[in-house]
Amino acid sequence: MAQEPRKMKETMMARRIIVIGANAAGVEAASAARKKDRTAEIALISQEKNAGYSRCGLPFVIGGQIPSFKDLTVYSPAYFQMLKLKLNTETKVTAIDTKEKVVTAVDKVGSTESLQYDSLVIATGADAFMPPIKGREKQGILSLRNLEDGEKILQAVQNGAKSAVIMGAGLIGLETGVALIERGLKVTVVEMLPQILPAMLDADMAKMIQEHLQEKGMCILTGKCVEEFLGGDKVKAIMAGGEKIEADLFISAFGVRANTKLAVESGISLGETRAIKTNGRMETAVKDVYAVGDCAEAPNIITHQPVCAQLGTIAVRQGKVAGTNAGGGYALFPGILASAVTRLFDIEAGVTGLTEAATQRARIEVVTGAISSKTKADYYPNALPIKVKLVVEKESQRIIGAQIVGGEEVTQRINALSFAIQKGMTVRELAKADTAYAPPLNETWDPMVLAAEMVLMKLR
Amino acid sequence: MVKVDNYEVPEGLYYSNDFEWIKIEGDKVRMGITDYAQKQLREVVYAELPEAGAELKQNEPYGTLESVKAVSDLVAAISGTVEEVNAEVQSKPEILNEDPYEKGWLVVLKPASLQAELANLMDFDKAVEWHKNQGK
Repeated sequence: MAQEPRKMKETMMARRIIVIGANAAGVEAASAARKKDRTAEIALISQEKNAGYSRCGLPFVIGGQIPSFKDLTVYSPAYFQMLKLKLNTETKVTAIDTKEKVVTAVDKVGSTESLQYDSLVIATGADAFMPPIKGREKQGILSLRNLEDGEKILQAVQNGAKSAVIMGAGLIGLETGVALIERGLKVTVVEMLPQILPAMLDADMAKMIQEHLQEKGMCILTGKCVEEFLGGDKVKAIMAGGEKIEADLFISAFGVRANTKLAVESGISLGETRAIKTNGRMETAVKDVYAVGDCAEAPNIITHQPVCAQLGTIAVRQGKVAGTNAGGGYALFPGILASAVTRLFDIEAGVTGLTEAATQRARIEVVTGAISSKTKADYYPNALPIKVKLVVEKESQRIIGAQIVGGEEVTQRINALSFAIQKGMTVRELAKADTAYAPPLNETWDPMVLAAEMVLMKLR
Repeated sequence: MVKVDNYEVPEGLYYSNDFEWIKIEGDKVRMGITDYAQKQLREVVYAELPEAGAELKQNEPYGTLESVKAVSDLVAAISGTVEEVNAEVQSKPEILNEDPYEKGWLVVLKPASLQAELANLMDFDKAVEWHKNQGK
């Protein structure tokens, strides 16, 4: 009974929640925590100058579809005020003491502060990755990760850059390439692997996009490594596949790597993808410490193997789960399908679940079906091509992956197939799906259903 | 009524830094949230309001609004005794999004020290400037 007063005092004290990182995952976590706990002291700490903006929108400011980087703000200062979230920008967390539950942070004027937490959410994101290429210390190699990166690229364009080399044909590389062509630059994309969008699509689907991009004037060199950056202090050209390519602007889009330095230094375990290991509640191996977004790994729904998808959609879902738990609630993250879509000039591409290539790596046996169709009735004017590819696990006959490339109407089909996969739908069930039709909007038989029929025939 | 960016700012009201408006109606004051506030919160699902007779203090919370993604305290623009509560907002909170300045009023107060507290609020011109500085 002697401890009773102290216990009383502890339960009366407001919960202290610290979130490191203030973009997609971090702000979502803080908001979810606030919804669970109205009295908690919630602080966000971000190294960046800008918080609560959409990284995914950066290429579209460069392309000119969005007038300014300011328009990418998703959460205004008023939002933080209304939810009583204390936002500390340009502040770097230098250490986490997980035993004493203290975070050490240094602000932009260099003053150090120690902050106590009851729950900590790590949302440190990812950093642009630069392979050990000769000459990489030279100036003028830009990347596109944060708002300042975007401003630098746009500045270079406005300063009269006429040509650009983009290293890496992933989503960011290609979206940036399209944006620069729209700004009138001559763009060359160099990709080490034999196809574009290697993490997203199978080669057969990626080929359709590559052809479209080439028609639009993008020069794409696949199967070529960047071997060297050439020039004096400043890069003037690259060597790729033994060929010298000169340009005014060099953008590295080799991909991103989970930013785990702080976690590692604090003794928080990484998983097999080298991102922070988490459980279903997005907790790390250390009690009361959560990790979310691009710095965290979580299981793939199909393979049950950890993956680090590094998508905004995953970041916000994980952020919500971690924030709910950090605020004293209960939520589980169901796992990752990695549904993603993009639009490159006049072509859209989407994926959900596993590609055929990924099933081979996971040693899952599959049957695939791919159907080319139109986005409206074949006789209706301006019907655009669309191709749906289904990946079906042989034994269970469940759909475990889908890819779509088409002129329009890709996203909601990817979403429908994502629901189907998440619910464990079999290809037989999909073949009986009750889809909608009207001549200006769809074919009588939706291509998803036809692709399912094709797989069924192959399974016979 | 003017529109600053996408946000409506009616004339004849006083505004607080915590996104509330008041309208002086004789010796009573009607209070609610601004168009800007409802747009930040988006679809309001739940409104927790005080009961008649409650004493509100300027700059202190008197209720909460909860939307799908957010939750925010209601912070009193002025002090006073609650005389009326908008029951319709509690049963149909979407009114707050549809019509924050008219049908979406929250409470009617008998003000405690209106004249003194008005100095802490913004008039129409100041509110327009304030909205301009809010950015998005």
